Amino acid sequence: MVLRQEGDKMKISFRVWLLVICLSLAAMIIINGSAASRFLAGFIVILVPIALTYVNSKVGKVLVILILAASLVYVALTATGDGVIIKSIEKNSTEFSEGLRSGMILKSLNGGEIKNVEDYSRLISALLPSKEETKIILGTDSKEIVFVTNKTLSITVENIKKTNLKTGLDLSGGARALVSAERPLTSSEMSDLVAVTSNRLNVFGISDVSVRSVSDLEGNSYMLIEVAGVSPADLKELVAKQGKFEARIGNESLDNNESKGILVFEGGKGDISDVCRNRAECSGIQSCDKTSSGYGCSFRFTVYLTEEAAKKHAEITKDIPLDSTGEYLTEKLYLYVDNSEMDSLLIGADLKGQVTTQVSIQGSGTGATQEEAYNDAKTNMNKLQTILITGSLPYKLNLVKLDSVSPMLGKEFTNNIIKLGLIVFAIICALLFIKYRKIKITMAVILTVVSEATLTLAIAALIRWNLDAPSIAGIIAGMGTGVNDQIIIIDESISSEQTSLKERIKRALFIIFGAFFTIVAAMLPLFWAGTGLLRGFALTTIIGVSVGILITRPAFADIMKRISE
Amino acid sequence: MDNPEQKVEHQHTKNWYDKSYKLILFFPVALLAACLVYLVIFHSQTGDLINRDVSLKGGTTITLLGDVDAVKLEAQLTEKIPDVSFRSLSEMGSEKQIALVIESSMQPDELKQNIEDILGYKLTDENSSIEFTGPSLSANFYRQLIIALIISFVLMSIVIFIMFKSFIPSIAVIFAAFADIVMALALVDFLGMKLSAAGIAAFLMLVGYSVDTDILLTTRALKKAEGTLNQRIYGAFKTGIFMTTTALFAVLPAFFIVTGLPDSFRQIFLILAFGLGADIINTWMTNASIIKWYCDKKGIK
Repeated sequence: MVLRQEGDKMKISFRVWLLVICLSLAAMIIINGSAASRFLAGFIVILVPIALTYVNSKVGKVLVILILAASLVYVALTATGDGVIIKSIEKNSTEFSEGLRSGMILKSLNGGEIKNVEDYSRLISALLPSKEETKIILGTDSKEIVFVTNKTLSITVENIKKTNLKTGLDLSGGARALVSAERPLTSSEMSDLVAVTSNRLNVFGISDVSVRSVSDLEGNSYMLIEVAGVSPADLKELVAKQGKFEARIGNESLDNNESKGILVFEGGKGDISDVCRNRAECSGIQSCDKTSSGYGCSFRFTVYLTEEAAKKHAEITKDIPLDSTGEYLTEKLYLYVDNSEMDSLLIGADLKGQVTTQVSIQGSGTGATQEEAYNDAKTNMNKLQTILITGSLPYKLNLVKLDSVSPMLGKEFTNNIIKLGLIVFAIICALLFIKYRKIKITMAVILTVVSEATLTLAIAALIRWNLDAPSIAGIIAGMGTGVNDQIIIIDESISSEQTSLKERIKRALFIIFGAFFTIVAAMLPLFWAGTGLLRGFALTTIIGVSVGILITRPAFADIMKRISE
Repeated sequence: MDNPEQKVEHQHTKNWYDKSYKLILFFPVALLAACLVYLVIFHSQTGDLINRDVSLKGGTTITLLGDVDAVKLEAQLTEKIPDVSFRSLSEMGSEKQIALVIESSMQPDELKQNIEDILGYKLTDENSSIEFTGPSLSANFYRQLIIALIISFVLMSIVIFIMFKSFIPSIAVIFAAFADIVMALALVDFLGMKLSAAGIAAFLMLVGYSVDTDILLTTRALKKAEGTLNQRIYGAFKTGIFMTTTALFAVLPAFFIVTGLPDSFRQIFLILAFGLGADIINTWMTNASIIKWYCDKKGIK
């Protein structure tokens, strides 16, 4: 870096550059939007130290900083563009069959521009529902979708997020359930439970749901279910009970019940004795072939029925005629989970009227490449296997924790936390200025504390961490440690001692490293205690102090050397 | 930095401090003993070291949004449910109630039903939050958080021993941290606070957070740079007390200015505030006296 040098003053040290580069990356990570605008944001951050080096007058420096900060804010706010994002869509709706999908961005409706959710609500409520069929033209980010309907659209929309930060349950609203089994589960049993549960929750059309297994310090394992946003009223029923699985033949409604066809077997009744999974001899991808539109792979796995179920199957199938090809029966076998149809299977002619306890189930997957087709087939096979074991898991479930947080309360909390943050920030600035009476020192501390918080948030966004209230408390505590460390460095560097500045900074760093290691050591056990529900608190604190020790503190020490020289 | 006037003052404090530092040690030790006695009595009366809230004891918390009639609800619910408790979250300044928090050991459905009967409307996602923790899980949580707290303390002690490599100074720091926790805990119990899981997590943070001033003091006192021991201790005090003050000022607005915050958040901040307060006593009275005693014995001037 060749800069216009005025003695030593104009040189920006390597450690300060490191901080600037990290901040520039952080801006790119946190801002949600097009690649171009993210790069622009990163570039603006890099410009700050360069501009400060070239501009000599104080007024000029302040002006440059203000202009750069304003342009950064502008870029951040406009990075995503206008529109609303589709969060969920009904699968059997007109708009779905016309190609509208969740994740698409709606930009216009019948010529009217959509900038936010309010625009969308206003435009849509003027048109639908209507008595006569109305032509709807939806402009999305990828294509235009035209269809005719008189019902209101079966989609939910949200404003596009300006940042990639995700907030946790207690701040964004939603539900969390912790489920344990009546006996300890092996890891494969647990993964079955997780698969079956996520499958069932998907049946219910709950979007933004995460199901995973968690364990605690004592080795107990639980299933953790987290639903973002508005939670369903019957979540308790859904997660605490096993699902109902039924296989029925034919889809004629025989009685007035919701389910159709004749019941062949159901889960949990001992009809299915085993579903072959992860055993090569009875489960796996059979073959992959090139087709006209890409590749297709077929899979096959075996299901073992009990004697009674097999007899029942034979009894029901013996009267069903063969179809025109002669390979299959005219009626299909329909699979239901919690009364929703999940899948249907053709019944091979050789099964007609046969009492067989081993049934081979076949299916396929497609894709543009062979790998894609293989993975698609595998996904389909796993899904089918998961359906078949629904309801037959040999243990009862206990709901041990169920929290549902109103999104409105979360919003209130978020606003208050932001308010609190600003107040705390102002108080710290005032205290520092009162104590040191030097605008430069105060500014340097503010800069490093803000940098630390920014870098911590960027890392949280990068690892897709949900920031809940304890996580934010952790960030604030991390900032507090940062301020404390800065005070130690300042007091060492401005002290009137004869010892060299280098020696004093070294002593300050010894204290700071000690404080760093004690806080990491103290927070570490929280990662495992209590199924990790408070992990966020430990995580953000540790990220905050680590960022401090590795990036901002060395840069701050250099800045202080410059100021005190 | 120092001007002549201050130097004279230093001379005074030095003489006084040299004579009385062992006496100063009495005050924190007596306070610690009183806190320990209080905790023992508390334990014998309640069978536990803290008042656990429903997240650690099992039960249901229902938060009603907006300005519900707290008085009416409180009167009628207390008749039906013996162990119910209420807390209102309000905005500072306007005193407008933003939420009413109701806790009980009941199952969520029962408590919800009872509240709905009194209020006359349904509780939904829009107007309420419901949190339920089963008794077995909460017992697990509690036990594990206590284990985590002990592990945390042991790990912190190891770090301190590695840093200072000598017994007495390390023990002094660890003792000060221990006293911080005991005092904060006694204060929590004394005020009748109910601790949540986040509250115990705050104690873990306190373990790490409260020792930084002790490390500062010990490093400055032991690393023979220049100035007398008293000057070095006083220098450390000037830096350290400013650190703690800043931290306290950062934590306190959560109680006096912006009050409508999640419970977990407020507990963490409140316990840090208690701990920081105790830390002023334990660093600058307990730890400083021990380290001065040690230096005097070792002949470190």
